[in-house]
Amino acid sequence: MTLTHLQQQLADIAGQGTQPFAGFAQQINDIVAQAQAGEMTAAETTEILADAQRQLSILEDMSELRLKEQLNIILTGLITLAAAV
Amino acid sequence: MKTLVACVLVFLLPGCALYDAYMQTGFDNNEYLLITQIRVDAQAYRRQCGNHLFAAANSQAIANKTDLFEKYSQRIPRNDQGYRASRSLNEIAQGLASSYADANQPPSAVFCRLKYTSIENSAAVIQTVVGDRPR
Repeated sequence: MTLTHLQQQLADIAGQGTQPFAGFAQQINDIVAQAQAGEMTAAETTEILADAQRQLSILEDMSELRLKEQLNIILTGLITLAAAV
Repeated sequence: MKTLVACVLVFLLPGCALYDAYMQTGFDNNEYLLITQIRVDAQAYRRQCGNHLFAAANSQAIANKTDLFEKYSQRIPRNDQGYRASRSLNEIAQGLASSYADANQPPSAVFCRLKYTSIENSAAVIQTVVGDRPR
């Protein structure tokens, strides 16, 4: 597992174009490039990458909640229809 | 018709998913306002990352607000995912505030900007879902 290999994997995900993950992969590749250019310390880079994991966790939780909301809208619609008959 | 709809729902959806979806937390004005403020603050504060004096004060201000958001979300019933997301958001902001704890070694402006980008993006994702809650 080399940095080049990991960057290539990120580029592959970014290239697939599936949002929001493609944009997310591109952001991470940009962060790695900035770290390589010496714009951040190793500790800062580690913290920013940990933030990326936290963002993924937020995306996962919010996707689940969004599905529930859609289901709730359908249920409310069905109940309204049932009550009207 | 009511029986038909009830039967369809019972057979098509697992009981827990049905209950969770129907009983989920409704729209909360304060929750929506807080997450919107966090998003707007992050946008404004990112532009001040070049000024260490402002940046240190801003990092504390955003950390206080995300802490408030986490604690506000914590006691909302049936809000497990919302609470988890608010906790992750708060962790991102607390990491920024603690990086300014040592006044002799302030973080880089790039780090500051990336932190606010993470906060803003996460707040935007949460805001969308909080705003779509049933009213």
